[in-house]
Amino acid sequence: MLRSTRIRAAVTAAALLVPPIYSAAAAPPASTLPDILLSRQLAEQASLHVGDTVTFAAEADGRDAKQFRVAGIYEPTPDPMRFTSRRIEARLHLPDLLAMTARPDDPSSADSVRAMNVKLVDPKEGDAFSAALTARVPGTFLRPTARAQDGSDPFAVLERFHLAVAIVTVLGSTAFLLALMVMRAEERREIVGIIRLIGVSQRFVLLVVLAEGLLIAAAGAVFGVLVALAAEGSVNRFFQWRYDTTLVFVRVTARIALQSVALAVPLGILAGLVGSWTLLRRDIISLVRR
Amino acid sequence: MSAWSLAWRTVAHNPARAGLAIGGVAVIGALLFNMLLLSQGLLLSFRDLLDSAGYDVRVLANEGSPIHRAPLPGALSLADEIARLPEVRRVALIRSDTALATAPGREGNAASVTLIGSSEHEIGGAWELVKGSPLPASSAAGEPAPLVVSTKLAQLQQLVPGSPLRLRVTVGGAASVLPSLDCRVVGIGNFTFEAADDYTVATTMAGFAAAHGTPEGKNEADLVMVASAPEAGPEAVAKAIAALRPDLRVYSNAQVVEQFNTQAFSYFRQISVVLSTITLAFAFLLVATLLTMSVNQRLGEVAALRALGFPRRRIAANLLCESALLVGVGGIAALPLGGILAVILDRILRAMPGVPERLHFFVFEMNTIALHVALLAATGFLAALYPIWLAARLPIAATLRREIVS
Repeated sequence: MLRSTRIRAAVTAAALLVPPIYSAAAAPPASTLPDILLSRQLAEQASLHVGDTVTFAAEADGRDAKQFRVAGIYEPTPDPMRFTSRRIEARLHLPDLLAMTARPDDPSSADSVRAMNVKLVDPKEGDAFSAALTARVPGTFLRPTARAQDGSDPFAVLERFHLAVAIVTVLGSTAFLLALMVMRAEERREIVGIIRLIGVSQRFVLLVVLAEGLLIAAAGAVFGVLVALAAEGSVNRFFQWRYDTTLVFVRVTARIALQSVALAVPLGILAGLVGSWTLLRRDIISLVRR
Repeated sequence: MSAWSLAWRTVAHNPARAGLAIGGVAVIGALLFNMLLLSQGLLLSFRDLLDSAGYDVRVLANEGSPIHRAPLPGALSLADEIARLPEVRRVALIRSDTALATAPGREGNAASVTLIGSSEHEIGGAWELVKGSPLPASSAAGEPAPLVVSTKLAQLQQLVPGSPLRLRVTVGGAASVLPSLDCRVVGIGNFTFEAADDYTVATTMAGFAAAHGTPEGKNEADLVMVASAPEAGPEAVAKAIAALRPDLRVYSNAQVVEQFNTQAFSYFRQISVVLSTITLAFAFLLVATLLTMSVNQRLGEVAALRALGFPRRRIAANLLCESALLVGVGGIAALPLGGILAVILDRILRAMPGVPERLHFFVFEMNTIALHVALLAATGFLAALYPIWLAARLPIAATLRREIVS
């Protein structure tokens, strides 16, 4: 059942208490030092490069500091739960981290980790695995990495918030569209009156208005999707710059585009119908102002 | 006839169009009002929550993440040192953990709770007692640990002052091997920081230590809360404590709010800026389009007025008044509509896990109304500029001729 175990060791900014040492004069040759990976943000903040020698300490007073060679600089995996905090992180081999954090008064500290990531052969067996491990190792806390399905996670809440804002925007847009269509109908009052005077049926006029509403709504929806696609990059770039992350904040998916079109088109037709109703319910004489 | 009367007649002449335009402005204005409320709401509410606890300085360990700090060792001596500072009025030690609360005889109704240990028997506004008595200053050996439980937990487990309750501290969220501790409910209260999906239980530091199987206590605290003397103020106290113990993190309430503002709250602030800008642009488009179409429909009327001797300024004033009527009435209607919408959106956002029930994302402020009015007024003015320009540059003779011919 247990296929692989991946353990990530990270030293946060609080652990980087000794200024990095760049000179190798008093330090052992860089090739003999253990390797460390630095997050891009940390490397930029401390002006570090691959091959530099850095000193890390786990204690606040800098005691038991150890030197490492920067073997690489990585981009932290974007984490939506932490996007507002700067990712000042480093990754080192677990034995190196344990050697730094082990306490002489606690022999078990040299053999302790705070968390393990486990990938199951069959992800559906998560509950069974949790039950089995909890029975074997009491006190362990197991948490699935999959998103909760009960709608209680923060992103489901944010989704509901954005949906509510979208509904209000649609209501405002509908009022806008209705006002426009009413004005448009008013503009063409005399033309409609003349068309009806020469014998064109009410039904045909209604069909024309419907077709026009459909065309305007479809064109508007497509234009809206295109604007959203164009704005997607700008919004993402702004927030990625603001939070120094590679997290994607806005993504216009096919489903969202289709949803927008599916909402906009019936609304456009409805607005066209309401607008034309103000004309069709009147008698021909009043339409041509006679 | 004044520009206002003429504008009113124009608007009233097309009630359907005016109603829809005002409706559109009202809905968009409501959204704008909400975004303005959101831009500051969480901060104001958070500041209120912090201030209501009655302590204005917080001392934390330097190690750990901002959310999960390591406990402060030697907390008792630290509290003594801080209490001796002349700027300090009161000091409280706080510990917190999670536990499983079971009412004897109702084992099936066990609830996971946040267990708070406090050195003060009443932590100001951190909980408001609604029934029973506060935590006792001391309790005799062998007596069950005293508890103040939240009203939600009391309701769930049918607890009243005097009810027995068993606590078992959980380790990392899982069942622990620590023994259960027999406790007694002395009071029921509303906890300021309790989240909707959480139950809270407060006890004394001795009770907290006993629940952890260490009756003598570990002499640790997760947080030291300090109330400053009125003449000193929180900033002076924070500086004094930082000078006394440079190895600790010391924040006044204002600094905590500032950190919250720059980190946790920045997303909502930016969303509110983005949506406010979009709603303003939308309101501008709505009013500008409607006024432009209205002017286009009335070109003959405008030309006739000009031919009768109405100056351009008067025509411009008329259009400005028309815009002000649409935006003004819509903007006023937006306030109650925005209030209702704020309640709905607030309820949605407060469903976020871990958010204290008393924290609000949308908080009403008079300044927000003033800003709302100023923004809508500016939008209405800008939206009227293009139709005014159209009307002002209208060739009178040619327009009248075209009107007659058509």
